[in-house]
Amino acid sequence: MNIAFYSTNEVFAGEEKLKQNDIVCEIVPTPVTDKAYCGVCIETEEEEAVSILEGMEFHIIRKGEGHVI
Amino acid sequence: MIYFDNAATTKVKPEEVYKAFEYYVREIGVSPGRGSYSLGISASRMLYQVRKKTGIFFGLENLTNVIFTKNSTEAINLFFHGFLKTGDHVVISCYEHNAVLRPLHYLKSIGMIDYSVIQRNDLELSPEELLEKYAKTNTKVLALTLASNLTGRIIYKSEFFEEAKKRNITTFLDASQGAGKMSLSMKNGQIDYLVFTGHKDLMGLPGTGGLCCRDKEEITPLLQGGTGIFGDAYMNPKVFPEGLEAGTLNMPAIWALGAAIDFCQQNRNEIYKKEKELTELLLEQLSTIKNIIIYDYGFDRLGVVGFNIDGYSSDEIVKYLDTWGICTRGGIHCAILAHEALKTVKTGAVRVSVSSFNTVDEVYEFIDILRRLGE
Repeated sequence: MNIAFYSTNEVFAGEEKLKQNDIVCEIVPTPVTDKAYCGVCIETEEEEAVSILEGMEFHIIRKGEGHVI
Repeated sequence: MIYFDNAATTKVKPEEVYKAFEYYVREIGVSPGRGSYSLGISASRMLYQVRKKTGIFFGLENLTNVIFTKNSTEAINLFFHGFLKTGDHVVISCYEHNAVLRPLHYLKSIGMIDYSVIQRNDLELSPEELLEKYAKTNTKVLALTLASNLTGRIIYKSEFFEEAKKRNITTFLDASQGAGKMSLSMKNGQIDYLVFTGHKDLMGLPGTGGLCCRDKEEITPLLQGGTGIFGDAYMNPKVFPEGLEAGTLNMPAIWALGAAIDFCQQNRNEIYKKEKELTELLLEQLSTIKNIIIYDYGFDRLGVVGFNIDGYSSDEIVKYLDTWGICTRGGIHCAILAHEALKTVKTGAVRVSVSSFNTVDEVYEFIDILRRLGE
């Protein structure tokens, strides 16, 4: 899944948080279906990432599903 | 050459600052937020890291509430133009730099706001007395400089800001002079907004500054343009901080600023001790010179001293010192309110400002040469 943020600053704050919690993740270009968000987003396969990022403003993008809140 | 104009720009930087700049220019070389390839992502991550480092340095609770600008003047303009509304009133001190005075005076000249200036003697009032005298029902902001760029006198007192907060007045600190030398906590010091510049006491390179914000209250952008996000919108997005940072950032200097902040943080005690020693020596020696007037002599200060010598104009003294390879500054120091308060509008003043890279020997040499003025 991709985790998209409005602010690039938040992407890296999110990455830092996930890595502190040993979540494997990568910063990748945001899928073009979601041009409303900033140019890069977090990609991870670990569902736990969502709860770790609680309190931050983000959207989940799953392959072929568009974005899901 | 003896460089004593550190209040304008610190000339000598920590070695780490030069190295960081060179590393960024050679090894990264691209702009943050402008590319989603690996190198662009690295640049964006580095920007995030310096933003956070800056927030920690200034004691922000939300560590990345930092908007980068090209200097403190731009940050001050961003704040006043973007935060104030029609009918607002601002209280400032008579020691504010023109970077604070002029944007406010401009907003006053177009009928948008009004401002009051705290007179020199009133800075000794209790916080309650001070705000009782100067605050009005429509006072939105109390804006103070951390220290005078003309005399080095420390103006900011957390007690003033505490009192302002009790009256629902937003507090704003211009830390252009002193950031890097004095330990500041926005949280503990009741500072809502703080502006800094990288090239003075933080010992970074010219071309960086910023506005630190306790809360992400809505501020209207000073510049409209490319933000690297929401490229399909016709105006800057209301996204903090990118929406307030239109245009390409000076990332090589921002990365060097990160190194400068690390240096200041790691060497804070040594920097403080050295500058205190140099400043005390400077004051002690200057006071032995015949017909000298030292401004704000008895006050707590940074390593900045403003003076005049009877019978000479400040520019004559600066020119004389320059012939001996000593860099000082004369004239009006972009702080007309302070010159009015000290009654030095006609004469200007000579300013000597030290950094921790100066030496005791340089102070003695300077004094020795100054004594020979007129011989």
